[in-house]
Amino acid sequence: MARLWKRRSATVRDIVEDLARTRELAYTTVMTIMVRLHEKGLLERTREGKTYVYRPSHTRDEHRARLSRDLVRGLVAEFGDAALAAFSAELDTVDATHRAALRRLAQKDTREAR
Amino acid sequence: MKRADRVFTVMLGLAFASSAILLALLLTLVPRVEQLVARGAEDTADVVAALVLLLAVCGISLGFVALFRQIVATAVLIRGLVAEKIELPSSVIVAASGLDLDGRIDVVADERPFSFCYWFLRPRICLSTALVERLDVDELRAVLHHERYHLRQRDPLRQIVARYFAAGLYVVPVVDELLTFHTLQKEIEADQEAMRASGDVRSLASALYKLLPDADDVSLGLLVPVSSLSVTEARIDQLVTGRPLSLALSPLSIALSGGALVAAAVLVAVKGGASVAFETLPPLYAVPGLLVGPASLLFAAAVDGGLHQLRPLTQRLFAQQ
Repeated sequence: MARLWKRRSATVRDIVEDLARTRELAYTTVMTIMVRLHEKGLLERTREGKTYVYRPSHTRDEHRARLSRDLVRGLVAEFGDAALAAFSAELDTVDATHRAALRRLAQKDTREAR
Repeated sequence: MKRADRVFTVMLGLAFASSAILLALLLTLVPRVEQLVARGAEDTADVVAALVLLLAVCGISLGFVALFRQIVATAVLIRGLVAEKIELPSSVIVAASGLDLDGRIDVVADERPFSFCYWFLRPRICLSTALVERLDVDELRAVLHHERYHLRQRDPLRQIVARYFAAGLYVVPVVDELLTFHTLQKEIEADQEAMRASGDVRSLASALYKLLPDADDVSLGLLVPVSSLSVTEARIDQLVTGRPLSLALSPLSIALSGGALVAAAVLVAVKGGASVAFETLPPLYAVPGLLVGPASLLFAAAVDGGLHQLRPLTQRLFAQQ
C-alpha cells in the first residue's frame, strides 16, 4: 500500500521492481497480495491492454481513519458492555473544539514548566 | 460521600422502592390472572391484569438478559483478550511502582489502544500493548491512577448491579438516566483522582489526547451522550473547567417514572379492580380513573423505558456494520 500511495498507480510488475531494491519477492506473491487487496476494496484496478493498473481506493489518511474506526467497532462488537468501560477515547466522538482544548491542556503545563 | 456514590445510593433506593411497589402489584394480580387463564377475559379489570402481567414479564426478562449479557461479555472479554496476556513491559512496571497494584495488572497484545478495569469481586486492570507503546511513563501512570480508582471502588460490580436494575425497572426510566449519569460521574471522578495523584492535569490530558480517534469523522455514538456531549467531550470539559457536571434528568422520564409508580400503587390499592371499595364506586368513574388510566400510564412509561433499553442493541448493530 505504501508503494502505491507513493506512485498513485502501478502494475504488479512496477511493484515487484520497486520492492526488488530492498527485498526479493516473486511476481506471483505480489500479484496474489494485490488481487486480495483489490478484493478487500483497498485497491481499484483498470485493465490497460493485457495488464491491470492498480490504484489505492483511499488516500493514506482516509485509510488510517477507516482502520481506526474498524478497530473501535471491532472492540465494541466483540466485547460489548465490558469494553465500553474502557479508558479509551477511541470509542467516542470528539469534536474539533474539544480536541483543540485537550491539546492545549496536554501542552500547557509543559510550556509553563520550561 | 462522593457525588457518584450519592447518585448510586439514590438509584439503589429508588430501585428497591420501585421493585417493592411493582412486586406488590404482581402479587395482587396473580390470582386474577389465574382466573383469567381458566375462564378468559370477562371485563376491563381482566384486560388490565393481563397487560400489567405482560409488562412485568418483560421487566423480569430484561433484567435477567442485562445480567446475563454483561456476564457473558465479561467472560468473552477475559477468554478472548485477557487470556492472551504477556509479561509486563518494563514501562508498565515503572509506571505502576508504588501504586499498590502488584499482581493486579494484565497487559495484552492488541493493536487497539485501550485500558479497562474488569471482574467483579477482585477487579484487575487490563492494558493493551498499543496503549503502552503510545504513552510515556507519566501518561501510563495517570491511566493507572484512573483505573485504580475504578478497581478500588469495584466499579465493574456496581455497574452490573445498576444495569440489572435499570433494565428490570424499565417502567421507571429515570433509573436508567441515573445509571447514565453515574457512569459518566465515575469517569470524571477517576480522572480527578488521577489528576490529584499526578499533581497536574498534563499527564492525564496528554494520555487522553493520544488516545483520541485518528479521524475527525468518527461518529459512532457508542457511549451515551450527556447533554449532547460524548463522554470524552464531557471529560475534557471537566479537565478544562473543573465545573461539576449537572445532573439533568429528562422531565418526561421523571414524569413517566413518577406516574408509573403512582399508577402501580393505585392498582395495588384497588387490587386490580377486585377490592370492595372499587366495586362500590360507579363504574363510569372507577374503571377509567382507577384501572384504565393507571394501566395506560404504566404502558406509556414502559414504551419510553423500552426505547431506553433498546439503545445498546442499536449501538451494537451499528458497531457491527
